[in-house]
Formats: sequence, C-alpha cells, structure tokens
Amino acid sequence: MRREGPVIFAAIAGLAVIISGLFATDALKVVKDELDQWYLITTAFMVLVGLINLNLLHVRKISQKKEGWGYSIVLLAGMYFFIVFGLMRGSLGDAQYGWAYNATIVPMSATTFSLLMFYIGSASYRAFRARTAEATVLLLSAVVMMIGVVPIGRVIWSRLPDITSWILDYPNTAGIRGIQLGACIGGMATALRILVGIERGHLGGEG
Amino acid sequence: MSFWHTAQNLDRRIIYVVLFLVVTYVLIKPIGLPIVVNRETQRAYDAVDKLAAGSILFVSADYGSSSIPEMLPAEKAVLRHVFRKGLKVIAGGMWNEAGAMHDLAWQEVSKDFPDKKYGVDFVNVGYKPGAGVLLERMISDAHQALLGIDFYSKNFSDLPLMGEFKTMKDAKMVFAFTSGDPGEKEWVKMVTDPLRMPFATAATAVAVPGQMPLLQSGQIIGILKGMGGAAEYELLVKSPGSAIAGMDAQSATHILMVLFIVLGNLGYLMTRKQTT
Repeated sequence: MRREGPVIFAAIAGLAVIISGLFATDALKVVKDELDQWYLITTAFMVLVGLINLNLLHVRKISQKKEGWGYSIVLLAGMYFFIVFGLMRGSLGDAQYGWAYNATIVPMSATTFSLLMFYIGSASYRAFRARTAEATVLLLSAVVMMIGVVPIGRVIWSRLPDITSWILDYPNTAGIRGIQLGACIGGMATALRILVGIERGHLGGEG
Repeated sequence: MSFWHTAQNLDRRIIYVVLFLVVTYVLIKPIGLPIVVNRETQRAYDAVDKLAAGSILFVSADYGSSSIPEMLPAEKAVLRHVFRKGLKVIAGGMWNEAGAMHDLAWQEVSKDFPDKKYGVDFVNVGYKPGAGVLLERMISDAHQALLGIDFYSKNFSDLPLMGEFKTMKDAKMVFAFTSGDPGEKEWVKMVTDPLRMPFATAATAVAVPGQMPLLQSGQIIGILKGMGGAAEYELLVKSPGSAIAGMDAQSATHILMVLFIVLGNLGYLMTRKQTT
C-alpha cells in the first residue's frame, strides 16, 4: 500500500482535473478548486524543501572539508542573512532590506549572466565551423542572424533585417512548431503513464 | 605553427580581452547607429496605444535579475507609455523576483510621473506561487489567488485600484516580460486565449524563437525582441534609456564575433587544404 497509495491518489487527482476541464459541472469545479489549492500550498512548501536540501548538502561539504568548502560557508552565510533579515524587516518595501537586495543580489545576478558573453563568444568561435553541409547552413544562418538583428546590419545592407525576419518567420517557426508538438505529445504520454501507474520514477523507484 | 593553424585555435583569453576592450570602447564612445522600429514592436506599441484611458493593463515580470539588461529597459519604456496614456497597471508575475523587478521599474519611472500614485495608478502584487494554476484562479477571483496582499504587504482593501480589479476579466490587456518558463505559454493557455484578451510580450533574445509560432497564430500581438526591442520601444515613447545606449555595443560585439567565426573557418579551410 506504501507504493500503491500515492499512485492511486495521483491517478484520482489527475483524472479529476482532466475531467473537470472537459465537463464543467459544479461538483467537479469544487474538487478542482480544492486540488488547485493543494497544488499552490505544495509549491510554496517546495521552497522549504529546497532550503533544507541546500543546507544538508553544504553543511556536509563544510564538515568533510571537501574542495570548495569555503564557498559553501559564504553561500550559507548569505542565505541565512537574507532569511533572517527578511523575516525581521518584511520585504523590499523596507528601505534597508531593499538596499541590501538591490546592492547585492541584483548586480551579482546581472554580472554572472553577463559573463556568458565571454563564454558564448569563445564557444561560437569554436563551434561554428563549416565541417559538413549542415554545419555550413547553420553557420551561414547564425552569421546572418547575428548581423541582421543589430542596427549595424541595416547599415551594411538594407535588406539584411528582412532576411533575418524571414529566417525567424519560416524555417525557425516550422522547426519550433515541430519540436513543441513533439514535446507536447511526449508530455501527454508521460502524464498518462504516471496516471495509470506505469511510470513510478517520481516515487523513487523503478519506472 | 602556421598562421592559419593559429587562426583556428586562438587562445580564448585573446577573445575575452578583445571582446572586453571593444565593448568598453563603444560604451564610452557611442557610434550612434540608427535604430529602426520593426513591425512586431510597432504592433505591441499600437495594442497598448489603442486602450482607452483608465483601462487596466496587467504587467507580468516573468524574469529574474539576470535578465535585467534586456527586460528592465523594456518594462520602464512600457510603463512610461502606459502612464502617458492614463492607463492603470497591476504588476505581478510567476517568477519569484517579479515583485523586485516591478519595484525597480516603478521607483525609476514614478519620478517622471509625480501625479501617478501607488495604489491608485499602479499596484505591485509581486510574485505568488502556482504559475499556470495561479493565472487560472485569477480569472475567477484575483484577490483570493493573490492572497489579498501586495508586494509591500499592504492589504488590497487599502489600495483603491484593487477595488477595480477583482478578476482578470477586469484587465483589458496583458503585457508579459518573459525570459523562460513559466512564461508566455502559461498566459496564452490559461488567460489570454480563454478570455480572448490582447497579449504582447517582451522576450529575451534567446526566448524569441520559441514565441514565433504564437506570434504567427495571432495569440501574441507583438514581441519586443531582446534589448533591440526595448530600444525600439524607448524610441517610440521618446524616452532614450539604457537599451538605446547598449545597441551600439551590441552591434560591435556581434560584428566582432562574426569576424572571429570567419577567421576560425578560414583557418580551418586553409589547414584542411594544406593537409589534403
């Protein structure tokens, strides 16, 4: 029952939500609204689960003095600082908490993401090589897109932005539609497998 | 080692240094390249422009602080347009930094609009958990779905604008700033398609290709594509900001990358020729 219970519950909950989307009756709406509430509460609770997991991981790293354990101290110190400070001061509406957040998290996130410029630059230089016909098409498309989407593209050739738009509107959209359709069908298949209990990976067992 | 062999195996530190120098130089000495508004940005602008004064626009910040360079200038430009039109804004989002991003935008834009009051013209409801489920619940009861408090922990009962916004049906349009998942798909599935509501987005450059099918089907009216789209919107609202300032650097960086790619390919082709 320990393994069958969650499977049965998942099946009942999933079917209730699916059927309520197909037949709009009051009784099903009540069930769905209640399940939605449970979903929202569980989602919020996941933050706590993540916090505990992060704590366990880094405390273990520090206690065993694994490589990079100093960074783990910094991580935990920063995490608890903002947790305690936030619980004491409320939210960004508080001037001091807002200053701490805007002076640390915001610029550090933006800086970390901005470092991608260098890695993408180096990766592009190495990856875009005309080794095969397909790679050559990819290379040419990438070069046209990179120049066409920025203002200098129009200065170089006035038709370049139009070619860029054509690439986005036709080949790209066709490819993305195919990928998204495939992903949706795959998602439906996985969801059905979970609902009928064939897929049990989420329970920590075999699928 | 021949020149061509070196050309296809440049030390990455050379690439890093050259990139850094070029970007820094262009930021200090801008070139002033012309920016032309493209049709997708114009459509998004026109959709907001058509709204009657007093209409409520729901603005969703589905991005984090790592996407600030592309998204925040777009959000500020849109807010400026909205306030000039006399529209009202409910600002929320499905990402946990949504409230912080709206706070940054409001703090700066409100300085130019001293007549706009928090709680009357703009409310930041911040992030609430649930993604698509949250949006679905906002259709029937937004106050309950948003837990009755805004980002600054004020009760909705103390905010006059929330008296006009009871459900998503009270909004006339949704404008989402998206950089990933959850994002535009949740808005289309749960709100804008069922309610037939106009929907425009500002997306990070990497997220734009994924939104093109929705644009073609008309489920998204217009897209501000990355920093370029933000710069075009700043041009349309006649408020130059960091997006326009960054376009010259973006142009220089892209050209530099193309030159490196060409150099690498020339090195590859020439060394392959020598080998054969």
